[in-house]
Amino acid sequence: MQKITNYFKKADRIALALLIGSVLIFVLMGVTHPKFFGKSNLQSMLIQCPEYGILAFGMMIAMIAGGIDLSLVGIANLSGIVAAVLMLRMGGTNLSIGIGIVAAVLVGSLCGLFNGFIIGFLDIPAMLVTLCGLQLYSGLALIITKGPAITGLPETFSNIANGKLLGVPIGAIVFVLIAILLCYLLYYTVFGKSLYLMGTNKIASRFSGINNLRITMLTYCLSGIFGSLAGILMASHYNSAKSDYGTSYTLLTLLIVVLGGVNPNGGRGKVMGVVMSIILLQLVSSAFNILRVNAFVKTFAWGLILILVTTATYLTAQKEARD
Amino acid sequence: MNQKIRNFLTSNEMIVVYIIAGLAILIGSVNHAFNSISTVVNLARTMLVTLIFAMCEMLVIVSGGIDVSFPAIASLAMIATGNIMLKNGLDNVPLAFLMGAVIGGVLGTLNAVLIAVVKMPPLIATLGVSSMTSGATLAIFGAKILTVLPAKLDELYKVSLFTYTNPEGITYSLTVLFLIPIGICLLMWFLLKYTMFGRGIYATGGDIRAARIAGFNVTAIQFFVYIMSGILSGIAGITYMILMRAADPSVLMGSEMMVIAAVVMGGTRITGGHGTVLGTILGVTLISLIKNNLIMLGVPTHFQTFVIGLIMIVGTSITSLKAKHIANSAKI
Repeated sequence: MQKITNYFKKADRIALALLIGSVLIFVLMGVTHPKFFGKSNLQSMLIQCPEYGILAFGMMIAMIAGGIDLSLVGIANLSGIVAAVLMLRMGGTNLSIGIGIVAAVLVGSLCGLFNGFIIGFLDIPAMLVTLCGLQLYSGLALIITKGPAITGLPETFSNIANGKLLGVPIGAIVFVLIAILLCYLLYYTVFGKSLYLMGTNKIASRFSGINNLRITMLTYCLSGIFGSLAGILMASHYNSAKSDYGTSYTLLTLLIVVLGGVNPNGGRGKVMGVVMSIILLQLVSSAFNILRVNAFVKTFAWGLILILVTTATYLTAQKEARD
Repeated sequence: MNQKIRNFLTSNEMIVVYIIAGLAILIGSVNHAFNSISTVVNLARTMLVTLIFAMCEMLVIVSGGIDVSFPAIASLAMIATGNIMLKNGLDNVPLAFLMGAVIGGVLGTLNAVLIAVVKMPPLIATLGVSSMTSGATLAIFGAKILTVLPAKLDELYKVSLFTYTNPEGITYSLTVLFLIPIGICLLMWFLLKYTMFGRGIYATGGDIRAARIAGFNVTAIQFFVYIMSGILSGIAGITYMILMRAADPSVLMGSEMMVIAAVVMGGTRITGGHGTVLGTILGVTLISLIKNNLIMLGVPTHFQTFVIGLIMIVGTSITSLKAKHIANSAKI
């Protein structure tokens, strides 16, 4: 019995609170609007959430490392566009789709490595570097496309995000696989441990023999790869690629990550919390859609939730410190 | 003495001056249309609102924070003031600026509470406020562009400091609104350089704990900085509305990148504690020059985003390398 209570005490309280919130919304919406449980709604939820969910993972590891990655959307669009251009140039065969995806991931990792190198080597704050990065990568994307969207992508490619495996959208499966991989990386490898240590205290990690530059570069590289995967999903979902898709995702991913209990100052954060907050936000978003609330109210609500949650976390932390 | 001159010639401000001069000579030699007074007038017009934004951003960055909510605050101030004045038949220039300043001040206070009291990271707090504000602006007032402004506001647009007619008969006039950023710059310069409070802002940005121990009221300084930033953003919104003779709720959104770039180019360190008014003015001049005249060099417009990003990253690398060099050099 002691063991069980201990388990619940140790289990992420934030993840638990988010789970309760999700269940509440689910039940409430399900009872009042039966359409919420409909197959089409559930499936559209599963298609939408992997896109920004994967971006949120990228943001999460950057934040655990004590930084932030604001260039994710830029990386996503740039790699989506590179993939689209390659596919169209090579005739849209299955082989060209494979090459396009590999090239996109390569572009994402290069962008991430560039971010990581400047942050780690020149000691410029991550926020500034990735803001510049966003400008650079969307600028490159704009140079490639000259403005309009690239359309007419092969049909097989659009099946990646819109297709299903046993009734579950493929994007959702990719998302789950990435979550499991991330759990392994963060909790069971030396890289993960060093990442948490570096995020907590940079100087201490350097003096304990961790190569901060290497860890920083690896972290942002991984975050860039996540960005490019989200970019592929986005391009496949819309069946086109453009330099300004998903611009609202930057705020959304920040909101998800902070809501999921990742400390903006670095060193703390769990995959489970982030997954839970992705689910909660997707439920809120779908509920807004079904209730036909103005889209601008949604933007307002995101900001409000972000502020309320951080305030609440601060108040509870203070109460704990007093006890 | 020699050392002093050398320090002056290699200061951040002078580096920006060299870049501006080099760029102006380059553009001027490629395209002779650049060498005219109209360029100066156009540049001043482009800089006008950006300069106000840059001043508030510089103040915030010097204090060790960052503010990305100013475009949203300016948009709300602009749209709300325009709508309220038209609906109630109000027509008064000082009232418009007062309303803008009050709206900006309220939102700035919200920022200040979140950052100074709740201790939220400034980027996240201001992003949240920005999202709330822009959502509220569009949800309450709609995405409609106001094109008819109250008559007296419209008249102010036509008052000009001086006019210049070029040989082809096209008239360029510098509007009287340019006095607003000049006034704000002078005020900031005096505040930051000659008052104890201003020195406190630098101290807070340099090391917040040391500043508190040295006896500065850090919370008051943070409150002042964010409220001031809100008020200036509100004023900038109204200025923009008069300058463009329209109130568009989405035109300013996304300009935060440009402004932060300009401030950082001017030698303000993003980590806080360093930055000057003159440097910021030069930074804004450089960015506006690039933005206005890139096309004169034959660079297509879709290259603009990339070039500005490149300049930002090179500029920040230079200032950071310089700071690293100073930190590593031998202390006397």
